[in-house]
Amino acid sequence: MIESFFDWMQSTAYGTAISETYFPMVECAHVVALTVVAGTIFIVDLRLVGLASKHLRFTQLSEQVLPWTWRAFVLAAITGGSLLMANASGYYHNTPLRMKAVLLLLAGLNMAYFQFVTYRTVASWDAGRPPGAARFAGWASLILWSGVIATGRWAGFV
Amino acid sequence: MTIAEFSESLSATAVSQFIQTTDGLIPSLQTVHIICIAVLWGSALMVDLRVLGTGLKSESLRAVADRFIPPIWVCIPILLVTGVLLIVAEPGRTLTNPSFYLKMVSLILAIFVTLYLRGFARGAKPVTGLPVALAILSMLLWMTIIVAGRYIAYTT
Repeated sequence: MIESFFDWMQSTAYGTAISETYFPMVECAHVVALTVVAGTIFIVDLRLVGLASKHLRFTQLSEQVLPWTWRAFVLAAITGGSLLMANASGYYHNTPLRMKAVLLLLAGLNMAYFQFVTYRTVASWDAGRPPGAARFAGWASLILWSGVIATGRWAGFV
Repeated sequence: MTIAEFSESLSATAVSQFIQTTDGLIPSLQTVHIICIAVLWGSALMVDLRVLGTGLKSESLRAVADRFIPPIWVCIPILLVTGVLLIVAEPGRTLTNPSFYLKMVSLILAIFVTLYLRGFARGAKPVTGLPVALAILSMLLWMTIIVAGRYIAYTT
């Protein structure tokens, strides 16, 4: 059923237009956007693990940097979805791309757990060294988003 | 010797053959290259946005530049090493490719614009039209570098 949905995505006029004409342009927009997503998330992650921006309060950094991450993420998701539709039937069987989907899911869960559990105590560590759970979220994010980039790039070679 | 002949003899070298034939090495080099571009471009964006009066506006421009310009200088050498290895692996794909030369010209310009913005940030002068224009140019140049880099795969 999922596979037939992927076949349908590729058969749409939109999927065909991306595939036949716009793929390189959309791919470029995807790379511009995903590098902003990763680059800005890494800024916040490095603060969480205690390697950079240590003089800044965590909330001050995250509240001013993460809006740009989300803007870029919207663009990365739209362009990424468009690239997927261009060759959905082929990508359905692409192992690195499946791994990328799993890593994106894990990155989302990591972010959600941090936001809804760890972040509730932020007042007590905002200006200082984040607790173990927050440092873990930072390292997990650094590793997961690097993995997203690696599997995304690898997908193009399969 | 023409560039095409040079490319051919370069791709016949042991180093080139090693990179070409080692499974997964080219995607791995590209992954390191892209992660460095992400760090560089995210950092440059923080400086450019701060000049435009947004982004990390609770901090002074000088503080933002001191935090985010050094990572740019760390990333560029790593990008050069991984980039050179990727060229050595597939010289015919790159050295005669106009996208590659657009990328290199943009890189040189982006370095000079970044040096200017660093100097401006240290001067603690009010932001006027020139730094704003160069912050916008900085963003356009880094995006051109990324786009031209990707277009190496599509142009010849």
